[in-house]
Amino acid sequence: MIKTNDFLIEIGTEELPPNSLQQLSLSLAQKLQEGLQKAGLNYGEVKTYATPRRLAVLIKELIDKQPNQTIERRGPSWQAAFDKDGNATKAALSFATSCGVAVEQLRKTKTTKGAWVAYKKTRAGDKTTTLLPSIVKDAIRALPIPRPMRWNSGELEFVQPVHWVVLLYGNNVVNTTLFALKTGRETYGHRFYCKKKIPITEPSKYAQILEKEGFVIADFAKRKSVIRKQIEKIASEYGKPHIDEQLLNEVTGLVEWPVALLGSFAEHFLKLPQEVLILSLQKHQKCFPLFDNKNKLLPYFITICNIKSKNPKRVIRGNERVINARLSDAGFFYDSDLKQSLENRLNQLKNIIFQAKLGSLYDKTMRVTKLAEHISKQIGADLKQTKHAATLAKTDLVTEMVKEFPELQGVMGFYYYARLYKKDVTNALKEQYLPRFAGDKLPKTKIGQALAIADRIDTLVGGFGINQAPSGDKDPYGLRRAALGVLRIIIEKKLNLSLIELIKQSRKIYEDFFGKLITSEGWKAIDEKKILDFISDRLRAWYLEKGYRPQILAAVFARSHYEPLETNKRVEAIRAFLKLPEAESLAISFKRVRNILKGGLAECSTQEEKEEIGIGKLDTTLLTEKAERDLAKQIITQEKVVKSLYERKQYTKALKVLAKLKKPIDKFFDTVMVMTDDKQLRNNRLTLLAKLEYLFLHVADISLLQT
Amino acid sequence: MFMGIKNNTFQDLIFNLQQYWADQGCIIVQPIDIEVGAATFHPASFLHAIGPEPWNAAFAQPCRRPRDGRYGNNPNRVQYYYQFQVVLKPSPDNIQDLYLASLRKLGVDPLTDDIRFVEDDWESPTLGAWGIGWEVWQNGMEITQFTYFQQVGGLECNPVMGEITYGLERIAMHLQEVDSVFDIVWADGHLGKITYGDVFRQNEVEMSKYNFEQSKIPVLFEHFMFYEKECSRLLELNLPLPAYEMVLKASHVFNLLDARNVVSVTERQSYILRVRALAKAVAESYYMMRKNLNFPLLKR
Repeated sequence: MIKTNDFLIEIGTEELPPNSLQQLSLSLAQKLQEGLQKAGLNYGEVKTYATPRRLAVLIKELIDKQPNQTIERRGPSWQAAFDKDGNATKAALSFATSCGVAVEQLRKTKTTKGAWVAYKKTRAGDKTTTLLPSIVKDAIRALPIPRPMRWNSGELEFVQPVHWVVLLYGNNVVNTTLFALKTGRETYGHRFYCKKKIPITEPSKYAQILEKEGFVIADFAKRKSVIRKQIEKIASEYGKPHIDEQLLNEVTGLVEWPVALLGSFAEHFLKLPQEVLILSLQKHQKCFPLFDNKNKLLPYFITICNIKSKNPKRVIRGNERVINARLSDAGFFYDSDLKQSLENRLNQLKNIIFQAKLGSLYDKTMRVTKLAEHISKQIGADLKQTKHAATLAKTDLVTEMVKEFPELQGVMGFYYYARLYKKDVTNALKEQYLPRFAGDKLPKTKIGQALAIADRIDTLVGGFGINQAPSGDKDPYGLRRAALGVLRIIIEKKLNLSLIELIKQSRKIYEDFFGKLITSEGWKAIDEKKILDFISDRLRAWYLEKGYRPQILAAVFARSHYEPLETNKRVEAIRAFLKLPEAESLAISFKRVRNILKGGLAECSTQEEKEEIGIGKLDTTLLTEKAERDLAKQIITQEKVVKSLYERKQYTKALKVLAKLKKPIDKFFDTVMVMTDDKQLRNNRLTLLAKLEYLFLHVADISLLQT
Repeated sequence: MFMGIKNNTFQDLIFNLQQYWADQGCIIVQPIDIEVGAATFHPASFLHAIGPEPWNAAFAQPCRRPRDGRYGNNPNRVQYYYQFQVVLKPSPDNIQDLYLASLRKLGVDPLTDDIRFVEDDWESPTLGAWGIGWEVWQNGMEITQFTYFQQVGGLECNPVMGEITYGLERIAMHLQEVDSVFDIVWADGHLGKITYGDVFRQNEVEMSKYNFEQSKIPVLFEHFMFYEKECSRLLELNLPLPAYEMVLKASHVFNLLDARNVVSVTERQSYILRVRALAKAVAESYYMMRKNLNFPLLKR
């Protein structure tokens, strides 16, 4: 009969990093499960716990011993093992010795290839309690800890110093030593509420005991939802809270016994940009801001404490004092930033290095301005305003506010120049950084688009110029992200921009820059194709991530033109084409077209002959068979339609028209012999196929669509 | 529960901490008489973190951060302020409890005030040092920096030194419930009440003027160069302690230059690296000297 027990491990530590403790407990559970599976120990439900001072895993219904294992060792063949009198040979004897048994204990085992001598042994499974210490040790050793630390004598390593380890199987302690500590059943509760040790009587009661006796909500998700409810409840009288998910997780990682309190800050701070206030509250003080119905910030905040204070007012006053001091610092920065002139800031950009070999941020600003102007002409953004925006773009990086809150880059430029420039210009300052991450929004204004693209192309070309192209997981200048940003803006905002042109322009600007300013040893003659292919690869990867089938991409990229918008149209057209019932067989037929054409051309005796076929001049009088006449007729009628659709880049429609050729093509291949001995007939038929190839190959290499 | 200001003056804070940590077995050393940006620069911290010898010390240390001067106008920022530092090596297992007991001694009740250990790993680029630790929050205010040194002067710490750095002004402001550093009551004896402002406001005004307007930039550059060279020369003579003083002086001169905004971002990095190179060389030399002496503190 199978017996099971619940298993519990709790590692008690000093305060863990709030942003990684949940992941750590999940990893611990993962590694433990891997160990148990490897040992052949079955188990039921797995539950993880994580608080600032503990990582715990509860594994239910863990089987109490390994199943018995039958091990068979095969020796020499039966024939070789015993002579005809049935006496054991030398081979049999030495096999028996190697198994540590007498010859009599060997058995016969049969396979399809014959009979063999074998030794069968049953190995009793080990007890789970025997196996657990090493499984646990291995799991802990395998935990991914980004920055392990040492303490005390410096011999041990973990995320934080370890103070106790609870290790239970059923109601019994699994006795071993971890982190130089004897394992036991005693845990510790809240740092301030619970001074005495708390025994865990049985694993499944772990969370319940800790909550009741220890003032600790061990379950991360439960604690998180308690905090959320408290925030919502306490906020309801005043406004609606903004609960940033990441902040909520962090706060959940900072407390074991959450208690929400509401405080306020001086109302006059509301004249500061909201972003500044929100960031200050969230990032520095880990508080939740409140908004009114019109989404305007209110002068309140909610903080989450780790105790139910005897004097909540004192806790609130303390928090308010800190927040008011921080905001008054921010106010000081804001006022002094407003006094600075643009020229002053532009000059200061000369002191900030963009990249050692690529010059200062001032140099970058000059380059990006030129490139943005070029782009603005292509996409119809206001030239003068684009120039303004590009010149201002990086100047907020030298303001005190952005030095204090780097996340506010762009946003502060928006505020500081709001009175001096048109809205499109100041909006572009914010938008230049979009998209910041996968799935982020894109610049809405044309100026913002020009700026965002120019900035990234400059970084890409510069990065490749100094040989810092990404390799493996190394991408110090974020070139992959930059490439994807450019692609997304061009495609999703439907901008007619050629990458070839953009990169050529940027290269020229760099050459001017280096020519005038420095002769850089590190700067290599730029291989434009390398950059184009890099960007192309990012585009392909982007489609794959979105779930586009690899054949679609193979077919389109075989005919790639480094024009993202064009590529995108083709990808979408092919995707639609593949949904047509004719697609699959057309792909096969088309492959046949290409093969026959290739073979036919190879048999041409002269170059002229080949060219003749290539031009596609069909002699209708030479069409002898009905199928080829039908096909020719179809091709000639559809050719005009398709070509005009191509000109208007209506690829999906064009392919739909071409799909109509499926029947005549099939018929043609069924009844017409292309490679006939009559050279005139043959070349005329090849010409027909060449026309077909031209029509199909225009959008993508359809032959690659076969699954 | 709370002591009145009478027992909670700025100087009481220092007395109480000194007494508490002396009771725990620490030696109370005095501040270093050279300008430093943080108590970690005190030889009792930096140098004693190196090598295998145990060391437990506590001391108050005035710190100078020229850039932080606000001419005495900002209630929270000053260019001269105090830290109280405790270093325990090896870091005892109950170091957090010892610290929390010190707060209780100061009149902080952790069931009234929300005390939290918030992740904040520490790194000093100039000292080639880093550690794992927290800032300790009292009702949202950072009152202490808590660090397990992992590396100092580029050397692995074995055993590990635990460093506790109290921000005295912040704690005093919170205990006395005042909103400006200048309103902290420094002493309230029978000769009258003296505030932090009485003692230091004029200093803040004048030193801010000096730091931001009057320091002689070319001379400071020369001084930096001199201390740097001097440090190397002394190291060649196997004199790590005087060489270390040169590191401290170079570091302070650099901070003065930084306050004048005359060090560009790239130069800044290279100055930091130069100081770090010195600090590393001193650390190695100091280690060798102690080794040659057979690590005298190890024997007890």
